Amino acid sequence: MESTRVNENFLNELRAIVGAEYVISHPADLLVYEYDGSIDMRLPQAVVLPASTQEVSQVMALAHRYGVPLAGRGSGTGLSGGAIAPPGGMQIAFTRMNRILGVDTVNRTATVEPGVINLDLDLHANKFGLRYAPDPSSQKACSLGGNIAENAGGPHCLAYGATTNHVLGLEVVLEDGAVVNLGNLAREAPGYDLRGVFVGSEGTFGVATKIVVRLLPLPETVKTFLGIFPDIDSACTAVSAIIGYGIVPAALEMIDALSIRAVQNVMDAGYPLDAGAVLLVELEGLKEEVSETSQEVEAALWEAGAAQVRVAEAAQERARLWLGRKNAFGAFGSIAPNYFLVDGVVPRTRLTEVLQRVSEVSQKYGMPIANVFHAGDGNLHPIMLYDGREPGAHEKALAAGGEILRVCVEFGGTLSGEHGIGLEKKEYMPLVYTEADLAAMQRVRDAFAPSGRLNPGKIFPDGQPPHKPPPQRAAPGMVA
Amino acid sequence: MSLSSFLPIQCQGITSLPAGQLPHYAVDGQTPQAAVRPANCQQAASVLQWAAAEKLSVMPWGGGTQMSLGNSPSRYDLALDLRGMNHLLDFQPNDLTCTVEAGMTLAGLQAALAQGGKFLPLEAPLAERATIGGVLAAGASGPLRFAFGLPRDWLIGIGVVSGQGVMTRAGGKVVKNVTGYDLNKLYTGSLGTLGVIVEATFKLSPLPAAFGALLARFDSMGQAVTAGQALCAQVFAPQGLQVIAVGQISGDKSPLTSLYERGEGLTPPLQRGVGGIYAIAFFAGRPSAVKRRLEDSARFLPERGAKDLERLEEAPARDLLHQLTDLGWSSESAPKLGLKISVPPSAVGQVVAMLEKSPLYESAVAGIIADAGFGTVRLLRWGEEIPPWPKGGEKDSLMQAIAALRAQVRALGGAVVVEQCPLEWKSQLDVWDDAPQGLEIMRRLKQKFDPQSILNPGRFLGRL
Ligand SMILES: Cc1cc2nc3c(=O)[nH]c(=O)nc-3n(C[C@H](O)[C@H](O)[C@H](O)COP(=O)(O)OP(=O)(O)OC[C@H]3O[C@@H](n4cnc5c(N)ncnc54)[C@H](O)[C@@H]3O)c2cc1C
Repeated sequence: MESTRVNENFLNELRAIVGAEYVISHPADLLVYEYDGSIDMRLPQAVVLPASTQEVSQVMALAHRYGVPLAGRGSGTGLSGGAIAPPGGMQIAFTRMNRILGVDTVNRTATVEPGVINLDLDLHANKFGLRYAPDPSSQKACSLGGNIAENAGGPHCLAYGATTNHVLGLEVVLEDGAVVNLGNLAREAPGYDLRGVFVGSEGTFGVATKIVVRLLPLPETVKTFLGIFPDIDSACTAVSAIIGYGIVPAALEMIDALSIRAVQNVMDAGYPLDAGAVLLVELEGLKEEVSETSQEVEAALWEAGAAQVRVAEAAQERARLWLGRKNAFGAFGSIAPNYFLVDGVVPRTRLTEVLQRVSEVSQKYGMPIANVFHAGDGNLHPIMLYDGREPGAHEKALAAGGEILRVCVEFGGTLSGEHGIGLEKKEYMPLVYTEADLAAMQRVRDAFAPSGRLNPGKIFPDGQPPHKPPPQRAAPGMVA
Repeated sequence: MSLSSFLPIQCQGITSLPAGQLPHYAVDGQTPQAAVRPANCQQAASVLQWAAAEKLSVMPWGGGTQMSLGNSPSRYDLALDLRGMNHLLDFQPNDLTCTVEAGMTLAGLQAALAQGGKFLPLEAPLAERATIGGVLAAGASGPLRFAFGLPRDWLIGIGVVSGQGVMTRAGGKVVKNVTGYDLNKLYTGSLGTLGVIVEATFKLSPLPAAFGALLARFDSMGQAVTAGQALCAQVFAPQGLQVIAVGQISGDKSPLTSLYERGEGLTPPLQRGVGGIYAIAFFAGRPSAVKRRLEDSARFLPERGAKDLERLEEAPARDLLHQLTDLGWSSESAPKLGLKISVPPSAVGQVVAMLEKSPLYESAVAGIIADAGFGTVRLLRWGEEIPPWPKGGEKDSLMQAIAALRAQVRALGGAVVVEQCPLEWKSQLDVWDDAPQGLEIMRRLKQKFDPQSILNPGRFLGRL
């Protein structure tokens, strides 16, 4: 048993705030909150589901009084262990705070509660001719609160930037229950950019209870290209060529041979099984510029050695080209029971070399590694495929992942482009930052949350290994 | 021993600048005791270590273009001139990234990037002088912010020396990065109060092949703002749109008039207008896109009250952009009073209406420049008569007008920053307006990053 300050008195006080039905404390009921999308897990002592800022504030003040450590929880799709409860701690889940509070068509903003699902916001904005640009591949499931905490990215962040470029304001509850507004609709209002540094703070500064995001007008024209390549090198050449033409597409995604096989195992996405790689390119904008850049993109694809190029403009046809990409993660189940996805970034001009090194890691460990990733911004997602029931397989996957991260750093890249550090990568932080760099980050945390009770044990190296998952359980591969 | 003779002994290899140069580094009438120009970040760090140990206050200097910004420093011992650190450290055109030392000028950087067909989509006043460090610290921006955003949107990595002389980095060289906290955001716009920026890495854009501008005259400011905002909501929106008005001025005394008249016959409607209201839309991008946006805008605006349209292409359009960016910052156009009002875009019309009725603008040699799509409104007030300005009683009424404006703007969710004003005013008003929520966190940050409070003490919001 872990030592915990979550005792009966604490639970009763929690129940008094949110109502007994919204405090989960029975171990059997807590099981679903044990893990997120990563491979780490820990059973929380309790989960509380508040319905309003006021309730969140009271819950935070109560936890402060009792000294209970806690983690916020959105949809639990995080891939770095961010939502996993700290030892002896609880989770605040935002499932009930899922209202879109308003769309302001003049300022082109939306105000939402943290539990709103990313895609729901986008679809709602579409009704006004607007869109919410950051589109994580998990967008059908992940929450805006989780997106803020991780500074989530997605295919279309190539052209439009990640979550941080779209958040204007936040209502935040601090560790002692104080409610504070950070950021502003007035975009040049003075002061330290607290909203900016809060985004990506992985739940260690406070919990967001309201989020104001920027919406963008829907583009006039969208055109999608699917290039089929004999090998991954030629697909990488195409990526460089497109950027070299002076084109920053809206999205530029790559799917390698192993992933093609996985996808085709479960559905017909139209990918030839003998292809070495598939490249998805999406162009958006005025019809004049899209028609011009289309020609350049097509030329770049052919020149790089594409065996086939498919083009779609109508929404339904475009969706067909995206089908395989969007369902890739779920499809890996057809190849191996477990997967471990590593999110690393390298300069996009180094993709060919880095992918070569990834394949060397795969050979060294005798473990298949698939690649489905955001090629346009050099954001790799090597996916170790293994069977967790085999002794040592899990450790091997972790070791291979670690080696890939080292390669990313060696090539001038970094540890995470969008999934965060969390539990998974904290021990790798010294690869990219000095002690002084980390101390500066720690100072910011101390300024926001001096007690360190918010999501402790994450981001910063502390020598503690991440919690070991029982090898029997398959990692949740979801269809997103 | 004087500070300047002491310095070289303490910080190996760095010589303090000759005393004769010190007046150049005066800020708000205060002259430092010494000035140094480090050649690299190690030298900068050793100066700051020494300053921290001696509790000497330090003011980082770039091009000095925005030194009037901020409250008067509470102490000022040492000027730290970063222009000796002016190298482009790395430029990867095909990765669309670059790393630059903080003392390089924005114009110098743009020129180097242009050779590789790239650019940093940021405009800042006096780009020939303004350094990258200064642009970041001030969070400076220009008329294209509607499409391109602010410095925070392009900075992906930073090197900073703290108030204790410790060099740290955050972010990196890749365009997408969530490794650790995003301290890039924290330092940008912090006016050098949390650390001295010595290095920056940016993501870049392909250089736009075409550039254009569309000038449209309107009968009223309200009409121009409404039309401009409607244009900004279209698919063919410009990259930036400024609505400008010159007050009821006599003759050609307003620098805004000279803005109009520059460009030798290129802008007939503006030349005619001494006093007048214009919406100026800027377009940057591929030639076909610029053409389409310009043409559609030229059809759109007259339906909303625009008269006398004028199109500018390439060099003249770029010149106009630069003039507008520099307006109020160049020595010829420096106002006696400059306000930057930031509000949600929807409130721009209301702010402009308030300004038009305010003694700050009415019957004065003054101009309003409103970024209709973004929400930033600037009021520039030039002195119409021989100093002293303002005369006796007028000062009180102007100060009252600022207070009244602030109350109204606050109600709209915005803030009024007094960017330029007579020095004596600074003892009577906080140029930053009321501190926003979160001031307590800001105080703690300042305390942790600069425990001796030696970096730009007193200048920033909340006298941080
Ligand atoms: C199949 C799949 C595909 C994915 N694709 C992408 C992708 O393309 N891009 C990408 O960026 N990510 C991707 N992810 C990762 C994940 O979906 C994102 O990190 C997402 O932002 C997490 O949201 P969530 O609601 O599930 O957060 P959770 O996992 O519940 O929590 C994540 C973090 O947010 C914190 N948190 C939650 N709510 C709040 C709040 N209100 N205030 C403060 N902190 C809070 C938690 O404490 C935790 O640290 C993918 C995941 C899966 C499973």
